[in-house]
Amino acid sequence: MRFSDRMLGGVLIAFALAVGIYSQTFPDIPGQQYGAAAFPTAIAVALGGCGLILFARGLLGPREPLITLTEWTRVPGALLAALVTILAVVAYILLARPVGFVPVMAAILAVLLVLLRVPWWQTAIFAVGTTLVIDFVFRSVLLVPLPLGIMPRLPW
Amino acid sequence: MDAIAAAFELVATWQVLAAVLSAALFGLLVGAIPGLTATMAIALLVPITFFMDPVPAVGTMVTCAAMAIFAGDIPGTLLRIPGTPASAAYAEEAYALTRKGQAELALGANLLFSAIGGLFGTAVLIFAAPTLAEIALKFSSFEYFWMALLGLTCAAFLSVASPINGVISLCIGLFVATIGLNNPAGVPRFTFGSTEMLAGIDFIPAMIGLFAVSEVLRNIAAGAPRWEIVQERVGNVFRHWGGLIVTYWRQQLRGNILGTIIGALPGAGADIAAWVSYAISRRFSRTPEKFGTGHIEGIVESTSANNSSLSSAWIPALVFGIPGDTITAIVIGVLYVKGLNPGPTLFLFNPQNIYAVFLIFVLANLVLIPLGWVAIKLAKRLLQVPRAVLMPIILAFCIVGAFASTNSMYGVIVMLAFGVLGFFMEENEIPLAPCILGIVIGPILEKNFVTSMIKSGGSFFSFFERPIAAGLGILVILVWASLLVGWARAWRRRP
Repeated sequence: MRFSDRMLGGVLIAFALAVGIYSQTFPDIPGQQYGAAAFPTAIAVALGGCGLILFARGLLGPREPLITLTEWTRVPGALLAALVTILAVVAYILLARPVGFVPVMAAILAVLLVLLRVPWWQTAIFAVGTTLVIDFVFRSVLLVPLPLGIMPRLPW
Repeated sequence: MDAIAAAFELVATWQVLAAVLSAALFGLLVGAIPGLTATMAIALLVPITFFMDPVPAVGTMVTCAAMAIFAGDIPGTLLRIPGTPASAAYAEEAYALTRKGQAELALGANLLFSAIGGLFGTAVLIFAAPTLAEIALKFSSFEYFWMALLGLTCAAFLSVASPINGVISLCIGLFVATIGLNNPAGVPRFTFGSTEMLAGIDFIPAMIGLFAVSEVLRNIAAGAPRWEIVQERVGNVFRHWGGLIVTYWRQQLRGNILGTIIGALPGAGADIAAWVSYAISRRFSRTPEKFGTGHIEGIVESTSANNSSLSSAWIPALVFGIPGDTITAIVIGVLYVKGLNPGPTLFLFNPQNIYAVFLIFVLANLVLIPLGWVAIKLAKRLLQVPRAVLMPIILAFCIVGAFASTNSMYGVIVMLAFGVLGFFMEENEIPLAPCILGIVIGPILEKNFVTSMIKSGGSFFSFFERPIAAGLGILVILVWASLLVGWARAWRRRP
C-alpha cells in the first residue's frame, strides 16, 4: 500500500496541523518564552514543511493514483494474511489476561502456522512447544508475570 | 599495587568466573534473539544479582552487556532484524553483505572490532577516567543541545534514498518522544487521559514493533517463502581479519575514539555511538556511493564505536554516578543496593573493587571472541529453519519481549501500533532508523533547549558563547550547509 506524493503530503499536512493546533493548548512555564508547546510546534512546522514539499512535488509531477498497491500486495491473500497477523496480536491483547498466556499463545501460533501452510503435525509441535518454552523461560527463569488466566500454573 | 593484587584475588574465584561465563552465554542468547535488547538482558539480570557479592554482580552485568551488544549484530546481519538498538545503524548494510553471500565478512568484522572496541574503551576507562569525566562534566545544556542536534542531523544523512523521507521519519520519532509527562514543563502531552501514556512511549516495545513486527507482517503477507538469496552457510569468520585491520585501521580508530567520547557523555550510549559513527564513516569515505549496498567500511567503524562506548559509558557512571547509558543507569541502582556508592569516594576507599571491575571488562572482551564464534556457528541454524515456522515464533517472542519490558499489556499495544506504523513507513520508502533516533534523542534535545533558553533569557546567541558549544554549533551548521549545497547542485543538474 503506497501513498502518492499528493496523498502522503496531504496526510502529513493534516497531521502537522492537528499537532500544531493541539500543542497551543499546553500551558506555558510562567515567565518563560518557551514551554511545553515549543517543541511539538517546531515538529509540526517541520512535518508540515515536508508535507508541503511532497504535495507540491505531486502536483508538479505526473498524475498518479492516490493509493497504489505495491508488487507483493497484489498477490492474492497478502493483505488478508497481514490483517490476520494484526488481529492475532489484538486477540492476544484482549484475551491473554482472562484466558491465560499458554492457551492464547498456542492458539495464535497455530492460526499463523496454518495460515503459512505448515503441515498440521509440525503446527501442533511448534505451537505447543514454543509456548511451553517461552512459558518456562520467561515465567520461571526470568520471572516475567505472564498472565495465568484460567490456566493453572505449569509445574515448573 | 596492593589494590591491584587484591583485585586479582577478587576476580580469580570460581564463583566470579562461573558468573561471568553464564552471563556471557545469557547475553549472547538474548542479544541474538531479535526484539530482546542488551538493556532488557541487564534488567532481567538485576533480580539474580541481588543474590551475589558486589564484584560478581557487576561482572555479570558488564559481560552480559558486551555479549548482547555483539550478538545483536548476528540477527541484524543474517535476518536484517537488529538484535539490539546498537546494531540498528548498520543492520541494513550487513544484511546487504549477507545477500551478496559475504555474511562471514560482516560477522567476522563485527566480532573482531567489537572485541577491540571493548578493549579500547576499557583502556580509556582505566587510564583516563577521571580526566575525561571532568571534561564531560563541564558540559552545560548548550553543549548537550548541540550534541543532540548533531545526532539528529546525522540521522538525516543516514536516510539513503531521499532526505525528505528521512526528515519525515525523524519528525515522527520526535513527535513520539513528546508523548507523556517527561518534558521540561511537566505537562502531560498527547496522552488523551491515558495513565499509561503519562510515562511516555516505552522505547523497547516501539523498537520491537518498528524493526521486528513490521518485518514479520511483511513476511507473513508474502506467504513466508524461504529466506531469499541469503547465505546458506557462514564461512570462516577469521579469514578476513588481517585484511580488515590493514585496510580499515583508520575507521577502526576513529570509531573507537568517537564511541569512547560519546559513551563517556552522560545520556549517550552505544546506539547513538553506532549511528553517529556510521554517518561519519559515510561522510568521510572515499566511496560513499557504496554505502547501503553491502560495504564493510561503515560496519567496521560503527561496530568499533558501539562496543567501545559500552565500556566508556562507565566513566561518568563510576566516577560521578551519572549514567552513560540505559545499561549503566540500571547498574548504578545495583551499586547503591550493594553499598558501593558510585562517586570519587569509590576510588579512595574501595580501589580493589574498581580494579576488579576493570579486570572483568578486559576478561569479558577477551572471552567475546571464542564465545562469539560459537554463537555465529549456532546462529546459522536460524537460516535452516523455514521462515513459515520462524515468523510466528519470532512474533511470539516479540509479544513476550514487549510484555516483559513494561510487565503489562501496554507494551504489546505499543509494539503492535509501531509494527503497523513501521510496515506502512517501509511501504512508502520512509526509513525507520531516523524515527528510532528521534525517539531516543528527542527528550535530550528538548530538555537542553528549554533549559538553555531559560538560562539565557531567550537569547539564541548564548548557544555560541561557550567555546565548546560554539565549536559544536558551527559543526552542526557546516553539516547542514554541506547538505543544502548538495541539494542545490542536484537541483541545478536535473534535466
